[in-house]
Amino acid sequence: MLDTAPAFRFVEERLGIDVRTADAATELESLGVDSLSLLELVFEIEEQFGVRLDERTAPPRNCGELAALIERLAAARA
Amino acid sequence: MTPRRVAVTGIGLVTPLGTTAPATFAALLEGRSGVRLHAPPDAPGALAVPAGVCDGFDAAATLGRVKAATLDRYSQLGVVAGLEAWRDAGLAEAPQEDREDWGVAWGTGVGGVLTYERSYRDLYIAGRERLAPLTVVQAMNNACAGYLAIALGLGGACSTYSVACASSAIAIGDAFRRIRAGTSPVVLAGGSEAPLAYGVIRAWLALQILAPGDAQSAPLACKPFQRERAGLVLAEGGAALVLEDWSRAQARGARIYAELAGVGESCDHANLVRPSVAGQARAIRAALADARLTPAELDYVNAHATGTRDGDTVEIAALRSALGARAAAVAVSATKSALGHPLGAAGALEAALTALALHHDAIPPTLGEATQLDPECAGVAHVAGRALRGARPRAALSNSFAFGGSNAVLALRTRA
Repeated sequence: MLDTAPAFRFVEERLGIDVRTADAATELESLGVDSLSLLELVFEIEEQFGVRLDERTAPPRNCGELAALIERLAAARA
Repeated sequence: MTPRRVAVTGIGLVTPLGTTAPATFAALLEGRSGVRLHAPPDAPGALAVPAGVCDGFDAAATLGRVKAATLDRYSQLGVVAGLEAWRDAGLAEAPQEDREDWGVAWGTGVGGVLTYERSYRDLYIAGRERLAPLTVVQAMNNACAGYLAIALGLGGACSTYSVACASSAIAIGDAFRRIRAGTSPVVLAGGSEAPLAYGVIRAWLALQILAPGDAQSAPLACKPFQRERAGLVLAEGGAALVLEDWSRAQARGARIYAELAGVGESCDHANLVRPSVAGQARAIRAALADARLTPAELDYVNAHATGTRDGDTVEIAALRSALGARAAAVAVSATKSALGHPLGAAGALEAALTALALHHDAIPPTLGEATQLDPECAGVAHVAGRALRGARPRAALSNSFAFGGSNAVLALRTRA
C-alpha cells in the first residue's frame, strides 16, 4: 500500500481539517466543498496515487467517506 | 425626462501596488512603482522581463483554499477585487429579492490563459492524457463574472467583454447603459487579467513592444510620454466598481466617489495595432458629448499611455484635436508607469483611479522626471514625478485604446 500521509496532508491544507480525526459524519459541503471543488479535490488525490476512480464510484459526501476513499486509492495502486 | 444618472459607490482593487483600493491609491500618490523584474515560473529557458506582479495577493486568504483552487488566477484577482468593491459600497446586507435584476459587466483580454498554458504543458510536454476536470470552467473568459454573480446573488445580466486593452472600459460602458436605461439599478463592473504566462510574455516580446529592463531599472521601465520610452510593461490585476442608479444611491445615503457621466466608443478602422488620432479623438468627443461636458469643464485625463513610441504621441494628438485650446490646461497622467499594463483590466483599474482622484482631489503622477518629457508629447499639463493635490478637478476622462482599433473613453464628474 502506498503512503497515504501526503494525500491526507494535502486534504488538510485544502479543507483546514484532518479527515482522519474529524467527525466522520461532517459533510464536505459544510467545509465549502461544492460539486466543482469536489471534482477538483478527487482529481488531485487520484493524480497523487496515479490511479483513477471507477466512474461508477459515488463521490464522497463526508469526512469519513473521503478518508476511506484515500485509503482505497492507495491500496488500489499498491 | 432627465436621463438616470450613474454613481460610483464602491471600488475594489488588487494591483502590483497593493491588495486593496486604498493601499493601491496611497502607494500611487507616493510615487511608488509596482513593477519589478519577473521570471515566469516553469519557463523552459531563462527569461525575465519587467512586469507588474501582485506579490502580496493571497486568494485563499479571502476565498478559502477550496474555492481558490477552482479558479484561474485571473478570476481570483477579479473576485477579490469585486468582493472588496461590494463591501465598500455597503451592499453586503442588501436583501436577495432586490438583487434579482442587479448584474455584472466584466472585461478580460486573455482570460484563463494560465490554465491553458498549464494544460498544454501537461499534454504536450508531460505526455499526460488526462486534464484536471475543471480546466474548461477555469479557463473560460466569463468564469470570473459568473463566480461574482453566484457569490453575490446577482440575477440580472452577467456579461463579459473581450476587446483587448479596452475590455473592461467597454464593460463599464455596458453597465452604464443598463443603469441609464433602467434595466438594472446596480451593476458590478470591472475587469481582471493574469497574463504573466511564459507563452504570453514570449508573444508580446515577438511583437517588439515590451519595455526592456534589469532588476535595477525595472521599476521605471515603463516611461509614458518620456523621450526614452521603449515600450509597455505587462501586469496582472483586478479592478471593480459598483455602479448604481444615482437616486437609489442617494436615497440609501451611500458614499458616492464620483458620477460616471458618459461613455464614448469608436473604431479606428485603420490598422490592428497602429493607433489613429482621428479614431481616438472621435471616442473622446463622444464621451464628452454623452456626459454633456464641454472641454472647458474637463480638468484631468487618465491617459491610456502605455509607454510605446507611437501610442503616446498619437494619444496626445487626439486629446489636442478633441479638446482644442483647452488641452494645454488639462492635467494628464499615465498610471501605467507605476502599475504596468493589465490589458483587459486596465480600463476598470484606471476608471477606478480616476474616480478616486476626483473624490480625494489628488491626481496620481506619471512616474519619472518632468525634465525627461518628450517634446512630441507636449501640449497638455503633464502631472509628472509627483501627485497634484488641491487642483479641485471637476471632470475627468479615462482613456482605453485597444489593439483592433477599438477605443473606449469614460467621462467622470466630481460629485456635485
